Amino acid sequence: MPSMHLSFYSTFALSSLGLAFHRTHLISALLCLESMMLSLYIALTIWPVENQSTSFTTAPILMLSFSACEAGTGLAMLVASSRTHGSDHLHNFNLLQC
Amino acid sequence: MIYLVLALAVCFVLGGLAVASNPSPYYGVVGLVLASVAGCGWLVSLGASFVALVLFMVYLGGMLVVFVYSVSLAAEPFPEGWVGQGVVGYVVGLILVMVVGIVVGDFVGSWKFGVDTVDGVGLLSVRLDFGGVAVFYSWGVGMFLMAGWGLLLALFVVLELVRGLSRGAIRAV
Repeated sequence: MPSMHLSFYSTFALSSLGLAFHRTHLISALLCLESMMLSLYIALTIWPVENQSTSFTTAPILMLSFSACEAGTGLAMLVASSRTHGSDHLHNFNLLQC
Repeated sequence: MIYLVLALAVCFVLGGLAVASNPSPYYGVVGLVLASVAGCGWLVSLGASFVALVLFMVYLGGMLVVFVYSVSLAAEPFPEGWVGQGVVGYVVGLILVMVVGIVVGDFVGSWKFGVDTVDGVGLLSVRLDFGGVAVFYSWGVGMFLMAGWGLLLALFVVLELVRGLSRGAIRAV
């Protein structure tokens, strides 16, 4: 594997593991999602720099705008759960309980 | 000087590790800020200064600020520290997973590096990333409008998600 790619691959893998193991707070999971998006942004930027191809530089910008949409939606759910249950602790959530 | 990129890449991974194993969301935000500063420095040292500035201003100065005050809404008043209960176990476990992944995937010899920079084919009149993002306004105007439409739609999605008092889906009060 090319050398510097290992660092954002491992950041992506670590953040997805952090998302899978999210323990107490909903916002810890949202922060892990954000670091996944950050590693994807770095990857999408390094790729046109390495291949010296200009027009693929639009990909990270586009990805950042959709990541902003996703972060806003996740924070809206955080605010909604914080207003309903008083905190964002994951053991309070009961919409999907049987 | 050649080890600057290596040091920034290692700081990037350490920031990701801090986000994944955070004892409290405050420390997760610290890790995310560290990772984005290291990533921005990495992109600047490769020469892609426009996308590094976009990362700094939009991501760190926009999205992370919103995350910081959402953390202040949601996190508890007496947070655990890094030397708390089980945090060191998470850090060691995640490092172990990463090491096992590197060994099993046969990436052990991959720290020899020569980094290709933005000026690798010679100086251009418009730099690689400036000219690339300018495509958004000429040939990529459809993508630009779709992204703007998606952001406007996200605004209405957020409005409907936080609506309360039985007119919305999530809130009960």
